[in-house]
Amino acid sequence: MVHLLQGFADLVAEAVGGRAEILHDTVKVTVANEGWVTAHSVARDDLDLVFFSWLSAIDWANDVEAGDPLKDEVEERLELLSTVGDLTEGKRVTFSTTLDSESPVISTLVDVYAGSNWHEREAAEMFGIVFTGHPDLTKLYLPDHFIGNPLRKSYPLLSREVKPWPGTVDVEGMPDSPTTENPGA
Amino acid sequence: MDVGQDAIRHLSEVQVSVELETEDMTLNIGPQHPSTHGVLRLVARVDGERCYDVKPVIGYMHRGYEKLSEVRTYPQITALINRIDWVSGYANEIPFIVAAEKLMEVEVPERAQFIRLILTEMARISSHLIFMASYPLELGAATPLFFALRERERVLDLLEGVTGGRFHPNFNRIGGVKPNAGSGPTTRKTPQDLPAGFLEDTRDAMDHVLSVCDEIETLVAGNEIILARTKGIGILPPEVAAAYGVSGPNLRASGVKFDLRKVENYLPYDRFEFDVIVGENGDCWDRWWVRLQEIREAAKIIQQAIDGIPPSGPLQAKVPKIIKVPKGETYVRAENPKGEMGYYLVSDGGTGPYRLKIRSASFSNLTILPWILEGVLVPDIIAVMGSLDFVLGDVDR
Amino acid sequence: MMQFVTDLFANFWVSLGGKLLLVATMVPVIGMILGFAEMKLSAKMQSRVGPYFAGGRWGWAQLIADGVKFFQKEDIIPDDADKPVFKSAPILVLVGTVALFVVIPFGPGLIFNDLDVGIFYALAISSLSTIGVLMAGWSSANKYSLMGGLRAAGQLIAYELPLVLAVVGTVIMAGTMSMEGIVQAQISAGYPYVILQFVGFGIFMIAALAELTRIPFDMPIAESELVMGYVTEYSGFRFLFFFLAEFANMFTMSAIAATLFLGGYWLPGVPADVLEFAGPAILMGKVFLLAFVMIWFRWTFPRFREDQLQTLAWKFLVPLALLNIAVTAVLKVVF
Repeated sequence: MVHLLQGFADLVAEAVGGRAEILHDTVKVTVANEGWVTAHSVARDDLDLVFFSWLSAIDWANDVEAGDPLKDEVEERLELLSTVGDLTEGKRVTFSTTLDSESPVISTLVDVYAGSNWHEREAAEMFGIVFTGHPDLTKLYLPDHFIGNPLRKSYPLLSREVKPWPGTVDVEGMPDSPTTENPGA
Repeated sequence: MDVGQDAIRHLSEVQVSVELETEDMTLNIGPQHPSTHGVLRLVARVDGERCYDVKPVIGYMHRGYEKLSEVRTYPQITALINRIDWVSGYANEIPFIVAAEKLMEVEVPERAQFIRLILTEMARISSHLIFMASYPLELGAATPLFFALRERERVLDLLEGVTGGRFHPNFNRIGGVKPNAGSGPTTRKTPQDLPAGFLEDTRDAMDHVLSVCDEIETLVAGNEIILARTKGIGILPPEVAAAYGVSGPNLRASGVKFDLRKVENYLPYDRFEFDVIVGENGDCWDRWWVRLQEIREAAKIIQQAIDGIPPSGPLQAKVPKIIKVPKGETYVRAENPKGEMGYYLVSDGGTGPYRLKIRSASFSNLTILPWILEGVLVPDIIAVMGSLDFVLGDVDR
Repeated sequence: MMQFVTDLFANFWVSLGGKLLLVATMVPVIGMILGFAEMKLSAKMQSRVGPYFAGGRWGWAQLIADGVKFFQKEDIIPDDADKPVFKSAPILVLVGTVALFVVIPFGPGLIFNDLDVGIFYALAISSLSTIGVLMAGWSSANKYSLMGGLRAAGQLIAYELPLVLAVVGTVIMAGTMSMEGIVQAQISAGYPYVILQFVGFGIFMIAALAELTRIPFDMPIAESELVMGYVTEYSGFRFLFFFLAEFANMFTMSAIAATLFLGGYWLPGVPADVLEFAGPAILMGKVFLLAFVMIWFRWTFPRFREDQLQTLAWKFLVPLALLNIAVTAVLKVVF
């Protein structure tokens, strides 16, 4: 499986001008910002990857408000991901590009894959990414007057403000011996 | 005096002119509506019976699963994610667990894989039977509802017998399925496997499911009114479907022979024989028919799996008590009853994911609504929306 | 004693009062019986039990309980609704139905008022319900009700025509428009008119289903799309009027169909003196048979779309009915 995927990964990387890696049966191709839209056009037209699966982002940050922080320090950035696939053999590619954390801007994919419309709206409201050329970049999930970008690592999980993260222990232990209320224990 | 008279005349004029204008009406379908499968709101501009423009408004059920996953451990997330597409509860857990197992490079024992496959196909039957029940009801025929739900009760009772939950099984564990009952000192004393008689009861239930498929086919497929309401309505060309990310039975009804069960290796489907059902025109009728045939194929797979299941074996691979998934990222996708469901798991070696992106089938299926509902009649809005078979929990996550 | 009662009822006002009382009792009772029949029959068709608890194992008191429930509900009228129109709409719908009871012959001589223009009067007065429906849809100040009202306007007016034309064939064969006269014509002919007028019977039943706005023609109500169509904003006893009107109308349409096509209170081979007291039972039997067919259709078929409905009426039923009239007239003259 890995050998077949390597051949395909190299083919894609060469066609779009990016760098390919295989992560546990997933082909991930990293391209530059400027080549984001052309990479997808090439994938759709030349490589027959006509199926648009999803688009989203990862916020790589060292200070996290909710959850566990990263073990090793990374360069703070927003990584934009999108997955496209074909409809014959089940090949798929995850494209990745790096956006600036402070002011992420990239052009829209709506002209290449019409389905990216709603995915970009979601990424815009969750991460604060601006997609230039998008026809209607209004909020999708969140109410209209919502302030903040929830999926950023700097956005706290409000319920954890009230009650802190207990860690990996069970908050209540299981009963050890059978009682009248729990005879199955 | 003059001012008073002018005011009165102006008032009457204003009233008359407003009443005589005929213009487009903006109709709000939902969020509370019998046919929108949940809290979906469609802002439709209609002129008489024809609708010009539909804008779906979603997010009424947004529960923030992706942010929530960042503060939960892997077993805790398993309990959460079967609530995404609550109609087919078991099938939501599979791609996530397989992704974590890929990163941990854990080999799942064979018996556990077969059990997973049987339960996933039963979830598929359950989801499609709900569609069989609710779609004719939206068109006006109330009777197939009862027949389909009657048989679905059998499947749900079997699921409950194995997993303890009808809709939210929470039965998968990293490395296999739930191996033992109880916890603490009782764990090693009470090994748990499938309940006694489960396999025979499942075989029996599959016979009933196949017979109800025949009943529903006779009741619905031969009915001229249903054919008139669904044939040629809501045609979805395959190129448009692919560009919008529509997957599952909706895509196959448009003529695309693509099933993730045949191309991805998350469960041992390659050991069983089943057909990929493809429709012809991509209209509402084909989407209904593809799902009916898929119930039959699922029953076939389950019968083959029951014949081939290893009679004994471990139910979970050896994994540490506190699960820490090594650093890495991957995307695993599976054929959910509604379409393609996938999880992009980014792990940093901790007890919970760093980022979990959930690709839900109904979200992408719903993006097609503004395109497909342009220029249709109001009753057809309901027919088309029903045939796409989405669930709001899946759309809003 | 009998002489006293006969003299009493010979007085016009007393007999009028008696007839009104009888009609006022019959309508809710028949509505309840047919409603209960619908509940139990639909349950049988859907592999469930139906009303079970109210009134012992058979659940016969369910509809009585429903009636009482409706009466004690709060009377809610939307703020923006046009109040006089809103309040009078259900009354008009019910009146259009109740007035049909006047010309149904329950037995030889057992008719409230044997009008010479019996069937003409029946078809004309049933159109009152159409106005009632339009009023309900317009005055509810709700876009869904408005859409339901508009659909109802189109549908009810479109199906009036096949309803009327289907009846003309029978009138030609009988030579009279009086309902009693039509039954007598069938008795003297020796066969019910459905044998020759089967086309007319089919068209009448389809058009009757459309006039009742029952599935497959219930676009105006269309529960899964318009919540309840023109009835959405009605609650309490106003809703009860619509509900009763539907079932009472089911009865009257079936009774008219039974009288015109199936021979009414007469069965071939039954002598005239038996008909005196068996007549109503025979008519009820035929009415329940037709009502059973209507209930069966409702739970089997989905609903037509509005334009398909109109196509069926204008392009199919009306030409067919006209053809039926032409053929009947020719055959009447020739034979």
